[in-house]
Amino acid sequence: MKLSTKWIALSAIVIAGGLYVGVARADDAATLDTRIATMKSQGKDMTGIKAYIDDKADLASAQAAGADLVTQVAKIPDLFPKGTGMTQFPGKSYAKDAVWTDWDKFLAQAKTANDKAMALNAALKGGDKAAITAAFGDMGKNGCGACHEPFREKKPS
Amino acid sequence: MVAAPATNRSAKRSRLKASPLVAAGLGLALAAIGARPANAADPAVARGAYLSAAAGCDQCHTDAKNGGAPYAGGRAMATEFGTIVTPNITPDKATGIGGWSLGDFVRAMRWGIGPDGTHYVTAFPYPYFSRLTDSDLADLKAFLDSVAPVTRPGLGAASSLALLARARAAVGEAFAANFAGPSATLPAPRDAAVLRGAYLANSAGHCGDCHTPQSWFGASDSGREFAGSAGWFNGRKAPNITPDPKTGIGGWSEEEIASLLKDGGTPDGDFVGGAMAEIVRNTERLTDDDRHAIAAYLKAPPPKAFGENK
Repeated sequence: MKLSTKWIALSAIVIAGGLYVGVARADDAATLDTRIATMKSQGKDMTGIKAYIDDKADLASAQAAGADLVTQVAKIPDLFPKGTGMTQFPGKSYAKDAVWTDWDKFLAQAKTANDKAMALNAALKGGDKAAITAAFGDMGKNGCGACHEPFREKKPS
Repeated sequence: MVAAPATNRSAKRSRLKASPLVAAGLGLALAAIGARPANAADPAVARGAYLSAAAGCDQCHTDAKNGGAPYAGGRAMATEFGTIVTPNITPDKATGIGGWSLGDFVRAMRWGIGPDGTHYVTAFPYPYFSRLTDSDLADLKAFLDSVAPVTRPGLGAASSLALLARARAAVGEAFAANFAGPSATLPAPRDAAVLRGAYLANSAGHCGDCHTPQSWFGASDSGREFAGSAGWFNGRKAPNITPDPKTGIGGWSEEEIASLLKDGGTPDGDFVGGAMAEIVRNTERLTDDDRHAIAAYLKAPPPKAFGENK
């Protein structure tokens, strides 16, 4: 009896631990899904702004995209909890471990992206196409690209 | 910087002499491109500067992370044969390439062999640079000779594994030449832009260095040109840039490819990272015409499925 109590307690701990890990992993998976969706939204916003630059869309739609972009980029730091990298989610996450081993640098880069997004949004509000084009290039290269370069693994195809 | 026509040069020189302010301004402008005033007006230097940007000589040969001078080397680069430190290619006679003849330079660029017989690993993409024309190589040398010399000793020592790397690649090339199937079949060039794009992509641009899969022997699989790589043999992953609609860039317009080469943006609003972000720092310095030429060339060959031969 004493032995079985011990085994029941042990089993309960193992199951609870397993459940905890399972829930945590489910949370991480949900955050990862949100992150992927957020990144795609940002891509959509950038595409919308590019369409205006290329004379394929009007300024109003680009301004709407710019306003949305600012809100999406601001979410970035919260969408990278530990345990959501390519090590834990191979084939789904392409976030390198460097995100977390070099967290301060990552945060600084996320802030840079945020600043560039706000500058792009301000340029869009101003309506000057040359300024918008310059701010778009700056956001793409020094906001998005400069973060992808050290922190995102290449997708092979 | 565009060089002044030769006929105006002496007149311009005399005007510059007369105006210290203008001379100071010109000096600053020349310093910005890393050229010395004595040679910067030479059209060969201007052409060489453009080729250097296309090839990204400064990307590898500058220790930007530690504030190193342009072209003075010192950047540590991880390769499959260990970490190499790039050499100084400024015209410093003692520690750079200032003592090199044009013949020395051509041999290094075409065969990957230094004047002292040192063999370079293929991290220096001489198999691609070997396709540069004689005149382009001479222009490139003229440009590098115009860069401010920097003394930086202790760099560029050959890896003890360099010869092993070379031997392995040589075996791979010999095998491919004798036993593998026919090499990539390129379509007949349709126009001057495709030809120009082919030249840039396969020489200075060295696109295939990453985008063409390699065999275990370290030789490019010419039958799989631009098909992308899962990194099976060298750990370097790269996407398919043939016009395959499923895994390649078949769905991309020429304009979209040129746009990526300009700012790194993809048609879905993403922006490239990793090694391609570095390449974009080269291609953004090309003319729009040259970016479109590369795009036209990439759209020209038949599509291939992704990756290494299976």
